[in-house]
Amino acid sequence: MTRKQRRLTIIGGSLTVLAVAVALVLNAMRGSIVFFSTPVMVSEEHIPPGKRFRLGGLVEKGSLVHGDNLAVAFKVGDGSATLPVTYKGILPDLFREGQGVVAEGALDASGVFRADTVLAKHDETYMPKEVADALKKQGHWKDDYGEKSHTTEAQAGPSTSGVSGATQGVSQ
Amino acid sequence: MIAEAGHYALVLALGLALIQSTVPILGARWGDAALMNVARSTALAQLVFTLASFLALITLHVTSDFSVVNVFENSHSMKPLIYKITGVWGNHEGSMLLWVSILALFGGLVAAFGNNLPLSLRAHVLAVQAWVASAFYLFILMTSNPFLRIINPPLEGRDLNPVLQDPGLAVHPPMLYLGYVGFSISFSFAIAALLEGRIDAAWARWVRPWTLLAWIFLTLGIAMGSYWAYYELGWGGWWFWDPVENASLMPWLAGTALLHSAVVMEKRNALKVWTILLSILTFSLSLLGTFLVRSGVLTSVHAFASDPKRGVFILLILCIFIGGSLTLYAWRASALKQGGLFAPISREGALVLNNLFLTTACATVFVGTLYPLALEVTTGQKISVGAPFFNLTFAPLFVPLMLAVPFGPLLAWKRGDLLGAAQRLFAAGVAALVAIAVLWAWTWGGSTLAPLAIGLAVFVVAGALSDLAERTGLFRVPFGTAVRRARGLPRSSWGTVFAHAGVGIALMGIVCETTWNSEYIGSMKTNDVAHVAGYALKFDGLTQRQGPNFQEVAAQFEVSLDGKWLSTMKPSKRSFTTRGSTITEAALLTRGASQLYISLGDIAADGTIAVRIYHKPMVLLIWFGPVLMAFGGMLSLSDRRLRVGAPKPARVPRSLQPAE
Amino acid sequence: MTLWFVFAIMTAVAIFAVLWPLGQSAGVRNDASEATVYKDQLSEIDRDLAAGLIAAPEADAARVEISRRLLSAADHQRASPTASSVRIRRIAATVALVGLPALSMALYLPLGSPGLRDFPLADRTGTPSGSESLDNLVAQVEKHLEKNPTDGRGWNVLAPVLMRLGRYDDAARAVRNSITYSGDSSDRRADLGEALTGAAGGVVTAEAKTEFERAIALNADEVKARYFLGLAAEQDGRPEEAAARWRAMLAKAPPNAPWRPLAQAALVRVGGSVMPALPDGAMASAKDMSEADRAKMIHTMVDRLASRLKQDGGDVEGWLRLVRAYMVMGDRDKAKNAQTEAREAVANDTERLRQLNEGLKNLGLDG
Repeated sequence: MTRKQRRLTIIGGSLTVLAVAVALVLNAMRGSIVFFSTPVMVSEEHIPPGKRFRLGGLVEKGSLVHGDNLAVAFKVGDGSATLPVTYKGILPDLFREGQGVVAEGALDASGVFRADTVLAKHDETYMPKEVADALKKQGHWKDDYGEKSHTTEAQAGPSTSGVSGATQGVSQ
Repeated sequence: MIAEAGHYALVLALGLALIQSTVPILGARWGDAALMNVARSTALAQLVFTLASFLALITLHVTSDFSVVNVFENSHSMKPLIYKITGVWGNHEGSMLLWVSILALFGGLVAAFGNNLPLSLRAHVLAVQAWVASAFYLFILMTSNPFLRIINPPLEGRDLNPVLQDPGLAVHPPMLYLGYVGFSISFSFAIAALLEGRIDAAWARWVRPWTLLAWIFLTLGIAMGSYWAYYELGWGGWWFWDPVENASLMPWLAGTALLHSAVVMEKRNALKVWTILLSILTFSLSLLGTFLVRSGVLTSVHAFASDPKRGVFILLILCIFIGGSLTLYAWRASALKQGGLFAPISREGALVLNNLFLTTACATVFVGTLYPLALEVTTGQKISVGAPFFNLTFAPLFVPLMLAVPFGPLLAWKRGDLLGAAQRLFAAGVAALVAIAVLWAWTWGGSTLAPLAIGLAVFVVAGALSDLAERTGLFRVPFGTAVRRARGLPRSSWGTVFAHAGVGIALMGIVCETTWNSEYIGSMKTNDVAHVAGYALKFDGLTQRQGPNFQEVAAQFEVSLDGKWLSTMKPSKRSFTTRGSTITEAALLTRGASQLYISLGDIAADGTIAVRIYHKPMVLLIWFGPVLMAFGGMLSLSDRRLRVGAPKPARVPRSLQPAE
Repeated sequence: MTLWFVFAIMTAVAIFAVLWPLGQSAGVRNDASEATVYKDQLSEIDRDLAAGLIAAPEADAARVEISRRLLSAADHQRASPTASSVRIRRIAATVALVGLPALSMALYLPLGSPGLRDFPLADRTGTPSGSESLDNLVAQVEKHLEKNPTDGRGWNVLAPVLMRLGRYDDAARAVRNSITYSGDSSDRRADLGEALTGAAGGVVTAEAKTEFERAIALNADEVKARYFLGLAAEQDGRPEEAAARWRAMLAKAPPNAPWRPLAQAALVRVGGSVMPALPDGAMASAKDMSEADRAKMIHTMVDRLASRLKQDGGDVEGWLRLVRAYMVMGDRDKAKNAQTEAREAVANDTERLRQLNEGLKNLGLDG
């Protein structure tokens, strides 16, 4: 083989691998990409039942219902619309009513979102970024929503009799 | 005083880095030895000051000095000592300080042990290193200063994110950073070579230990992070194709390619221009990883509360370094002389193939990670690219690579003999086929792909062993001779064997875990028994415990197999009062390489618990593989010999060739 | 001053790191080069050949290749460093001597807080300021009293300090000694009762109750005793009696009594109602005003309170008063805001936070 032929072989090989990779990427892009929606987007866009997407929003206060055998139902809202969600399994530690959530799944025929995954990963402000962005866009975002309100909630937890506090108050 | 002294030390380090980034280059230009030597002493002094600064921050965390904002926001006086220390890099500012400390450490090491480098090359390398360092010192001081103070210090801190209060934090980030930042040395060498306009085999020889060191740490760091996520997040998953994980995988893939192409360069003086490019790309991907994690464009456990100013700053650093180095490359690379020749079927050819697949795989990860970001910026459309995408792109590219791995070491330099190599791999091929057949029969009706994948893994491991057998002449020469030859074998050859076997073993673990894991998800009352993969797990009830800064509810499980008691497992939930958050602590029971895994869900008032139990066969192999790879790397690193790729001379009758 | 001394030393070390190589003569030669590597590689081939790792023909081929590289490296030998010019060195040295301190100071001064000392937690337990001296003081007084146990005045001084330090048992002992050696009095009895209550974790025990009753017997207007008797009634499950006691207390209280808010909060807690917490005198004068004037006056007062709390956020009672005032004025949003601000203001002090939360809960603003 001459030098030129060798180089051609190598270049040809590289191009083949690259072409295969591009084909793989394009193929995977078509089948395995999941879009993100909020309840109001779902109500406007008429996503067909069975199409997978990610739903993000706030878990409506008081909507969480525990059923038998780890089945749960709750509502996800974004300030404009709400969507009922069902899920079977264990909810992540950071799942709370009134907090942000991202669930992956599809709508069923009756318009209920059947989630097969409820995402556990949030950053420390307990607000998934997608949800925060979507809420901001719709004007339902309060800047102090994230960490601050969370700490407040934690600290406002049940307090005991308060008597020793009173003792101090008098003695001062 | 400690806080202010630490702050000032960091400022001085920046000043020194600025001098180090200019004076030596001028010295090299004017041929002035004294100016060039400035690089060495400033690099060492920079290391001293950065370390002092880092130690100051550790001291502040340990003594709970809440007059420092960083300590107040991330520490708590009741936190156990180890988490007070590890909490230093469990937050943005502190982790950036760790980042530059490691950068300074590598610079200091080159200064201290770089006596075998030509003076001007060392001056250039250290100067480039100082460019990177200056940029990051500025970044820290301007946007992420860990030494800012509160005038009226509060009495108690806000505590560290509970997920990070784990021994994993002690090891994972430092390891990962040693890897990320270690590649800055190969980057600096590459830029130095471009600036000097000369590059040859000696360059690869000089840069080898640094690349290898970084690669070892990155390998261990990624494996460690994966195991940490596996047991800490409570989902039993060990790789999520999370953008942050991808951000560490990309430099690893590029770095692995770099390692292999540098071998070709060192031994055969070929692939020089390509190796330079890979050095630049590897560190660029490390920087990209830092950007993705630190800028807040992504959300994950790793993303600390972020500030857009930081994102813009890092993006700027990224553009300057990546853009600048690639421009320099485009401008100077054509001036570099091409090196040695080789036939497509040869050791060099095999390594080119390896590079091709590794970089392509890296590119698909790159696309999958950045496409959602690009789409969001351009159209506002939010998508997520998850595991299915990567399984469909990454896996098909890795299969041919794995098939080729055993062939590489068996081919001769310059011109190889594919048929000969295939003959020597006959035994490995048979082993693989037997494994496939046995598994197929055993799991009849199950997955068809899994036995094939295991067969591939067996082929890789057996291939690595065949290489060893070939080199020592095992089964051909008397056993004693083989042992003697094995002892005389360069440690880098042993390293190759271990690293390649590690790849196969990790693949085995991955396939077993994903195909044959079994799980039980349900709610259990006291004395309920769950059956998973032949094990019976009886729920004995809940116990409460008070930890140093948390309260814990633990569930006790008695595990038995075939009626025989094995062990007790205690998964728990911990509530951290300061942050008001709860985390799940999974319980693990190791049986051979397999594990039982219990993680708790909600605990109802009547003592009923939601529970998730997994049996994960061979799961430990997933991390044992990388450990083996890193061990191979260390063997190779300890090999101080000079490597020579003795090319196979042309026109020599085959019969005359002894084993390599 | 030590800090600037340390800075000076650090700067000197940094400058020295730059100056040192500049001062070195070019005698320290570094002759590492590509050629060295290739020469080493050649000898490596010989060793490999001897060890039987490669065969002779391959060794020859390798030798040829490496020799070629060696030749080419020799062709492109780097120009060996010239003796350096003194002028350039001087310039570099000046840059280090002037530039390094100037740059460091220019960066450090706007960012750092050189005036602030360290505050490690170990140095600041107990009360925020001068705690060490307080502890010393207590120890000294205790030592003194050990020797002179009949010094009633000493016990008198020590008791309230011990109480504030939370050493209730010792405080009770001190008050008893004080009663023994400097005579009985209503406030000492009340203090004893309070110490006993503190020792019991805030529960008014029968023993404490006896002391409070003795205090009342000595002086019917003893405020502390009356408050605690109310508390005892509340703890015994008689809220009406508690409310009656506190209401009576408030009725007699001067408008600026410091314990007023506390009694009011206690009263609210057991379900009694109080007027918005404006001093009675102010309310009295407000009575004669027109509706608009009164509203204006109340607003001014509330605003003044709000702005004071903005500066000094540690006043829990003040916050409670503010929230209550807003609620009375029917401004729920402002009340909620004040509530959030209050929590932020005392967030770092768990004791106060708890007091605040308790008070807020009683105000019925869902929190």
